[in-house]
Formats: sequence, structure tokens, C-alpha cells
Amino acid sequence: MFIAGGLSVILFLALSNKTIHYTSTNEFCASCHVHPHADVTWKLSAHHNTRSGVSVNCVDCHLPPQDQQFRFLTRKAYHGMHDFYVYMTKDSSEIDWTEKRSIDAAKRFVYEDGCKKCHTNLFPSTLNSLGAESHLKYIRNPENSSCLQCHLNVGHYRGKTGLTSAEELISGSKEIFTGPAVIEKFATFDEKIPGTSVSFKMVAIPGGEFKMGTPDDEAFRRGDEGPVIQVAVDSFWMGEIEVSWNEYLAFFNATSSQGRKEAVETDEETDGISGATPPWGAPDQGWGKGSRPAITMSHLGAVTYCRWLSSVTGKKYRLPTEAEWEYAARAGTNTPYFFEGSPNDYETLGFWRKLFGADTTVINSYVIYQENSGNRTRQPEIVWANQFGLKNMIGNVAEFCLDFYDPAVYSKYPKTVVRNPRGPRDGMERVVRGGAYNYSAKDLRVGRRGFTRTKDWLVTDPQIPKSIWWYSDCKNVGFRVICEYDKSEINSNQNIN
Amino acid sequence: MENSQFSRRNFLGKSALIGAAGVIGMNVLTSCSSKTKNVDYVFPPVLDKAPDGVKLRAGLVGCGNRGTGAALNFLSAGNGLELVALADVFEDKVWDCRSKLSKQRVEVPEKNCFWGFDSYKSLLDVDLDIVILATPPHFRPAYFDACVQAKKHVFMEKPVCVDPVGARQIIATSKKAENMGLTVITGTQRRHQRDYLETYRQVASGAIGEIVSAKAWWLQSHVWFRTREEGWSDMEYMIRNWNNFCWLCGDHILDTHVHNIDIINWFLGKNPVEAVGFGGRARRLTGDQYDFFSIDFNYGNGVFSHSMSRQIDDCANTLGEHIVGTNGYTNCKNTVYNLDGSEKWKYEYPKNKDGKSTEIVAVSPYVQEHISLVTSIRTNKPVVEAERTAISTLTAIMGRTAAYTGQLVTWEEMMGSTMKLGPEKYEMGPVSAEFPVPIPGTQHKT
Repeated sequence: MFIAGGLSVILFLALSNKTIHYTSTNEFCASCHVHPHADVTWKLSAHHNTRSGVSVNCVDCHLPPQDQQFRFLTRKAYHGMHDFYVYMTKDSSEIDWTEKRSIDAAKRFVYEDGCKKCHTNLFPSTLNSLGAESHLKYIRNPENSSCLQCHLNVGHYRGKTGLTSAEELISGSKEIFTGPAVIEKFATFDEKIPGTSVSFKMVAIPGGEFKMGTPDDEAFRRGDEGPVIQVAVDSFWMGEIEVSWNEYLAFFNATSSQGRKEAVETDEETDGISGATPPWGAPDQGWGKGSRPAITMSHLGAVTYCRWLSSVTGKKYRLPTEAEWEYAARAGTNTPYFFEGSPNDYETLGFWRKLFGADTTVINSYVIYQENSGNRTRQPEIVWANQFGLKNMIGNVAEFCLDFYDPAVYSKYPKTVVRNPRGPRDGMERVVRGGAYNYSAKDLRVGRRGFTRTKDWLVTDPQIPKSIWWYSDCKNVGFRVICEYDKSEINSNQNIN
Repeated sequence: MENSQFSRRNFLGKSALIGAAGVIGMNVLTSCSSKTKNVDYVFPPVLDKAPDGVKLRAGLVGCGNRGTGAALNFLSAGNGLELVALADVFEDKVWDCRSKLSKQRVEVPEKNCFWGFDSYKSLLDVDLDIVILATPPHFRPAYFDACVQAKKHVFMEKPVCVDPVGARQIIATSKKAENMGLTVITGTQRRHQRDYLETYRQVASGAIGEIVSAKAWWLQSHVWFRTREEGWSDMEYMIRNWNNFCWLCGDHILDTHVHNIDIINWFLGKNPVEAVGFGGRARRLTGDQYDFFSIDFNYGNGVFSHSMSRQIDDCANTLGEHIVGTNGYTNCKNTVYNLDGSEKWKYEYPKNKDGKSTEIVAVSPYVQEHISLVTSIRTNKPVVEAERTAISTLTAIMGRTAAYTGQLVTWEEMMGSTMKLGPEKYEMGPVSAEFPVPIPGTQHKT
């Protein structure tokens, strides 16, 4: 009995081995495979029509190597079922064969382990320099590379194609823009700073009416955030992100002046703008520049940047008014944040919160703030935009506005709809809006107001007079530009064109 | 037959003895220090002379002073070694070299002397086993690949390239050589120098604890240069003055300082991940290179190495390496110190007749590296040093790029960089390219 059982197992194994062997032959593949062209092109290919007479079979490429027994059998079963199903249900002419010859498609039914089983030496002595570069790249990062990237057509002859090349090495030089972006209609555009490789996105914000200020019952509301007033603003473009170091340094490189000047000068001869004097130390705090928001420049620096940007692009750039800023930040919402959740949910103050933490998934994806910043500015790419398409309105860094700050300004406006309010006529400090990388949730509320503190922000500046261009003691304020929209100008431009 | 069996048995017995001694040696070490680690490094055989064996014929490409010297070093590595061919870009260099060799009673047949940009190809057609590459480093990647394709063993001088593209080409060719069982020794001779090797063994087995910082410096007076002579084309002038043009030489942070950088990479067991640095040109008279560099290499985990190289007269000029660990420090060359400055270990140099230390290793490291080459070939234990020297050279290139551009430069950028220096075509005549001295950063306004 025992012997019979043993024999039957052996017989079964022998039979199934035979079956596996038989079903792995080229003839078997060709017997029902509906693509006679595959057979023809394979026979012409470098894997069959070889000088040495060695021929590579269908399964050598289209299944994992047989010594990976489990994977071989499961993939064989899968492809068998798949092909059988397609054979029964589809007509050959229905299949998009061209699509199947793409790299992405090929990766589904060509097994790289099969390539490597035979091609054990990736560095044969005759390998040329492009091959050497590509194979080095492959062994350094096999997960993100594939033999097929270059050797797509080796299994089936597709005419004289050569390698599908790996010429995607880093290109060093970026395009230097010769002119600014040309606007033809009111839509989001990429502004280009002429003479540099710097560009940035300006989002079209259609004008409208909104409730400015914070309702009395909002948690953590402060006295200067109300009363709520009805405000209307015109259409404008606003920077998708806070002005980055790339942008601000383009200005600095073009306009910086020597020494430490106390006043803004305009160079009459060239009609140029004399900009900031050199900062002391590292104005980026060593956190990195690039697309991170520029920081530590004074309000005057920000305003001068806008004047310069206007002059090099021929558009009207300026800081947003406080009303424009809040309109853009709210993006049609009326809640403490432009996303769901209340400050009470997200604030980490208080005993219970400290103990259990807060569910911050939503706020984390929109805002760079105390809980996710690592106490420094971050690249804006990592957060989601608001409903208008603006990023970090309430996080990363706070932003200068055009208005002077007056804690009671909302109550001084007329009680009807206020059109394009611009704040008090004069004052000492300017409005600063939006949260920053070191703020906690309660201070990220859209309605929260802040202002410049010129004296405090220059305490450690060792120079007398103190710099008018750089704050020595303020690291969490930057700014965002808006571009004014003048319907008639765009239309007249079109006429000229 | 019997004889040879006997000698084989004899040999086996001897090697078993050596093995036992090795084990005992290690035991002594472990019992001394609780912090002893296993040393994972393939040490070269440190023999006084290469073993006898098949006759090995070498050809020399690059017949300048180092090339001629390297050829003589090779010939003194053992018995049955011959120099049979010479190649150089310039004809006069070939005959110069041949007559210098002739004074040392080395006769190279006239028919095996080649010159011109393709002379290395003619040399590879001669029946030979080993090629010594001692041209300016710019040509190394292409020549090295040609040698490996021709199935030759190679000795090549450092640095092994001048740009990232060349470095990756060396690494790829190095892998070809490994696959073919060839031997490639590079001119980073400190890795064949007995005192360095023993100091490395100490440090790697934990003598100074965990490494926390490093410093490497090559500060020397100005080096040779050639002023242009009448009748020299642009190309001829640059190659005759190659030590002063970056596309040929790679600048002195590669040419000389790569020795020190290689030591730091070796002792730290890795290459740096990024570099910030600066340099400039204060005294140099010809070419487009700097004459001083100061680079901060970041090896990760808070470990940095300060690299300095300078070629200016009448300055504080010394060279060396210095590595600090949690339990002590070392000069990498021959001494390990405790943290209080007292000597913990010192390499024992051979003594002279009066019983005093000679302070130099028994076999010149320049010969020792050729003994390694010949031993490796004759004992059929292939060694390929090209990749690690390419990595040290690329480390130096990363430092150079940091200084030239003023930017932070990362290893990943280097591994992806398409920077390739030099003209497209090699021919004697005018070269249209400009060779400005690099200036970091951008100009601020007046």
C-alpha cells in the first residue's frame, strides 16, 4: 500500500514534469498563440538568429527562470489562464499589438531574471561607453531600472532599431528666459523672469464678495479679528507659492547695492532700481534656498522686489491688500481653515491633547506648521493647495500685506459692502497674515491677524543705523505677490497683436 | 614527478604553519584589547620580491619621468620581467626614455617604439602581458579600456581620470577586468606601504575606537611647468605643460592630494556623501588651475574630513593624514596615539647597523606595488584596484567641483554628472576652446 502510494506520487511527478516540459516548448506556445508575427520576428531576432547557433526559447524570456520553481509555476499558471481566456474570448485583430510592444506592457510578460540568468556578465570587455554608463546605473539602482529600457527589441525583430537608448542623463543647463510671460487672457500662467532661469506660477483668482473677519464664536478668536464685514474684491493673479529664494535672489543679484544705505534710491540714468544691501550671515538660516520661501527680508525689501518685478516683466506686481489676502486664503470657505476641522480638534494645547494627541491627517497635508515642519521652512511641493490652487496660505511662513495695521480697522469701514479696502491711510506697522512653520493650530486660522514688529525684529542687528533691508530677528515671515488684472490692457494688447 | 609532489607537500606544510601563526597573532591581539574587531580588508601580499614564474613582458604608455620610473620599478619587482615596448604622444619622449633605460641596461627594441595619439594601439599589438599606463590622467579611461579589451594586465598611475564620466568609465572597465580575471594595480602606493598597512590593521581592529573626524593635506611648493615655445601648437603646448591644465591633469587636488584622500576613504571604509569648499589661484603662472583648495568632505553620521592642498612656495608645507577616534588618534602612517597624546603603538621599521630605526620601510612602496602586480599574476590571484582608485579620484573631483563652483556638491550628482573635460578631437594643432580659471558663485554689483 505504502509502496503503491509512493509509486503513484512518483508517477504523478513524472507526468507533471513531462507536462510542464511539454507546455514550455516553443511548439506548444505557437500551437494556440494567436500571433504568428511573434514567431516570425523572434526567428529574425538577435535571440534566435545568432552567430553561435544558440537559440533562446519563448519561456526563457516570458516566464521566470525554471529554477525559481514556485514563481515559475505560479506565473506559468497565471499566463496560461490569461492566454487561454484571451484565446477563447478575443479575436487576434481586436488586440492592440503596438501597445504590447511598449516598455510598460513588456514589463508585464518579460522576466528580467530570465535576462540575467543567461547574461551573467553585465560588463563584457567589448561593452562601449554608453553601455558601461547604463549598466552602472542599473547595478546602482536595479529597482528603478530595467533591461527593457534599452534592450526592448532584442527578442523580436522590429527592423533596424538599435538600442532604445538611455540618453536621459542629467542636462546641466537650464533655459534662460529672454522675455517675460505674455498674458492673453485672465488665466493662470507661468511668469518668467527675463535673463534668469527662474519662473513661478501665478494663479488667476476671479473677483467676488466674501465675509472678512472671524465670527464671535470661533475658538481662539482674538479681539482684532472682527466685526465680520462684507467685502468685494476685483480679480487678480496671486503667486501659487510664497516668493521663493530662487525668485528673491534673482532680484537681489540684479539690484543689490554696496554699503548700507538708509533710503531707496532710483538710478536715474538706467531707470534701474537700487535694491537690498548684502545681508549679514545666512538669511536662509542654513535651511536651504531653492523653492523654500525667502525670509528675513524687510517689508521694504518685499515692496522693492515687487517694483523690480513689475519693471522687468512689464506687469503690475505688488503685495496683496489684507482683504485680497483673506479672500484668496478663504477660497470660498467660511470656516476657521479652508479645510475641514476646527482649531479645537488640531490644537495640541491642553491636558487631553497632550496625552492622546490630535488626529492631524488633514491639516498635515495642507499646512507646514509646528507639528510637521521640524522647526524650519519646507519646500512648498509637499503640501496640497487650497480651492483656488494656492499653497501654504496659512503655513510655512507668514506673509506681508500692503496695509498698515490697525486692530480696530474692521469696525471703521462703512457697514455696506466694502469694495477693495486698503486699510488705514497711515500707521507704523504693516499687516502680516497667515501662519508659519512654528505656529500651532490655533494661530493658523485664516482670520487671524498679525503685524510687523520692526523694533523687535532688529534687536540684534549690530549696525547703526540698522538695516532697512533685512530683519535680524524675524525668521518666519515672507511674502506673496499679486499681479493686478486690467481687462482693458489685455484687450488692447490683443488688438496690437 | 615525485620531486614536485614533495615540494608541493612542503609548500602546503609551510602555508599551514603561516596560517597557524596568523591565528595565534590574532588571538594575541584579541586578548590585549576588548575592542578588537575583525578586519575586513584584502591585504596585498607584502613580499620582498615577487615569486619566480612565467616570463612577463610589459609595455609602457607615457614615457615621461614617472613612466620611466614606473617601468624600472616594475623590472626590479622580481625575476623574468621584461620591458618590450614604449609609446608616447611625442617622439622625443620615446627616445629620451629609451636612452635612459638603456643606461640602466634595459634595451627596448626599436621596432616596438611608437608615438602619436594612437601609439597605445600599436603597443597593444605587440606580444606583451602587462601595460603600464603613465600618461596624463585625461587619457586613462580610454587607454585602460583598450588594454582590458586586449586582455592585458594593467598597472596604472593615479589619478585615474579627470572628470565624472571618466570615473564611471574606469569603474565599468574595472568590472570587465574582474570578470576576465585580469589584475589591475593602481599607483596609490600607500596601500602597498608596510607601515600604512600595519597602521590600518591597528585602526580597523579598533585601536582608536570609532572614527569621529579626519584631516588630509598635501601642501607643497610650486610644481613643474613649461612656458610655451615657438612652433608649439595649442595642443602640443598643453600636453607638454599638462600638469597645469585641468582637462589633462584634473588639478592638483587630484594629481597629488588624491593619495591622502584615498587614505581617508580607505580608513573610513567609505566615500563622502557631499563636499563644500573653496580654492583659488594666487601664484600659478601657466594653465587654468588653482593653486590652493580647502574642502570639507561630509562622510555622514557627523563625520567630516578636512582636505587641504596647495602648491605655493614658502608656506607651511607638509603632507599627511590624521584620523581621530573615540579612543585615540593616528597619523595613518606609523603611529597610534592615546587621547592624551602618548604613543600607543608604533610601526617597527627595519634597523640599521647601529641598531637604530631606519624610519623607512624595507621595500620602496613604488616597487612594492609592482611586486603585488607580478605576485598576483604569477599566483593566479587576480586583484583589481581600479574601482576604489576611481572612487577616490571622484572624491577629489567632487571637492574640486565644490571649490570651482562654490556650491555644495553631492556624490549622487557626481555619479550622474555628464561633465567631460577636454577637446572633442585629439590632434596636434590649434584648439579653439577657451581655458578660463573657474570663479565660484556670481558677481555682485558695484
